[in-house]
Amino acid sequence: MPILLVLAVLLVAGTFAVFRGKADGGDAPARITTLAATWLPSHRGEWGIAMAAELAHIHGRARRWCYTAGVLRVALFPPPRHAGRVVVVALAGLLAAAAATVAAASEVPTLSVFVAVMSLLLCAYLTGVAARAERPRPTAPRVIVGAVGLAGVAAAVAAVVRIAAADPTATTDSTHVFSILSALALIGYLTLALTPPSLGSGVNRRLADGVDRRPANTALWWGLAAALAGGAVWAVAALADPAAPGGITGLLSPVGVATTLAAAVGASAATGSRQAGAQAGLLATVLGAPIHFAVDMTMLLQLHHYTLTTAYDVNAYAHSGYPDVASYVLSDALAGSILAGLVLYPFGLLICAVVGAMAGTRLRRLAARSAAHPTA
Amino acid sequence: MTRVRQPSAQTAAVLQALAKDPGQWRYGYDLCAQLGLRAGSMYPILIRLADRGLLETSWETERVPGRPPRHLYRLTGTGRAYAASVTAAAPGPLTAAQRPQPRLEGA
Repeated sequence: MPILLVLAVLLVAGTFAVFRGKADGGDAPARITTLAATWLPSHRGEWGIAMAAELAHIHGRARRWCYTAGVLRVALFPPPRHAGRVVVVALAGLLAAAAATVAAASEVPTLSVFVAVMSLLLCAYLTGVAARAERPRPTAPRVIVGAVGLAGVAAAVAAVVRIAAADPTATTDSTHVFSILSALALIGYLTLALTPPSLGSGVNRRLADGVDRRPANTALWWGLAAALAGGAVWAVAALADPAAPGGITGLLSPVGVATTLAAAVGASAATGSRQAGAQAGLLATVLGAPIHFAVDMTMLLQLHHYTLTTAYDVNAYAHSGYPDVASYVLSDALAGSILAGLVLYPFGLLICAVVGAMAGTRLRRLAARSAAHPTA
Repeated sequence: MTRVRQPSAQTAAVLQALAKDPGQWRYGYDLCAQLGLRAGSMYPILIRLADRGLLETSWETERVPGRPPRHLYRLTGTGRAYAASVTAAAPGPLTAAQRPQPRLEGA
């Protein structure tokens, strides 16, 4: 928990550093209002500008914060243009979620909570998309990023279902913590892959206006390339030595850090935009995490002989209540992969994305300076 | 006779506030301050009214140095007729939400 807290503080501080000075030097409410205004769908863009402009005429810290809270509410839940369509999508989603949960309870009972939470979150996402009524023009990188994100999450879910089918005891989760955590993480990654955020930069607005797509597209390409490179390294490592103790878990940290940094530095150096670098790093992380999880779990499932390798595991297994070593090892690996691979490491990698984005713009400035004043 | 669909109490209050002086352009935060509504409630109401063609919007032309132009609102002809029909359909005393609140400082 303290690690999570430190990571959260670092992430917030880094994000503020990245977006510093992007709101005409205003105070925190001004920055937040300007940022929130960019979240509105493009057809509500004028209302975002209107709300942000109104803040300049509001005095007093309490009133400014109160107003900002209202703007955040509007930005997160903008009034739908076609309320009827939203209700239809929500009802259809709820029915589909109920059907999926009933099917899971019958076929893979240990995954019923996971399936229920995941399908409800998916329903909420689709309802949100319908409410925003925004259809961004499908550019090539957007489509590929969405497809890779969808494939990664589908592969991760398939790996979990295969484990549940092969060894139901391994996916028993009496507290439901891991079921909920993994569903939240996977749908979060899917959401970010299908609707990559611009993190409040002007990039989003320009993209909506169709004026300049290059920085946003560059960020998407860098993020995509880094995630696929990471996935390739994990797949090759797993295929080269499928029986390696610990699988490819040990490679998560170095490969994840390298690909996230490469994406963030590359995109920000190429575009001169810290936001584009942060977006590329974020994308490398959210696309890479489900891929790593799927590769790790798939390779673990390929093993036909499971052994306890540490004294801790031998002792823990004796008191675990699992019927056999395979169930214990699979369950332990699954829980570890959810906690580390889907939650903790990606959180840390986001800090790398912010750091890499800042480093990339600095590199670009240094390169420009040395080009302008070449040494003899 | 066409039945007037009753809006929420807050929407009715916004309509009545705008209908009081229908020719005058109003600011969003001024309406918030007058009616005691939060921005998170006021702007969705204004957006829905504009979507339905009941509200006309414009940008301030008189520039205040160092401040961005503000968005202005007033009822359209249809909006005025709708506000009148809403008032006629619910002629009771104003509820707490509808009752104008003291103007906030700094607004």
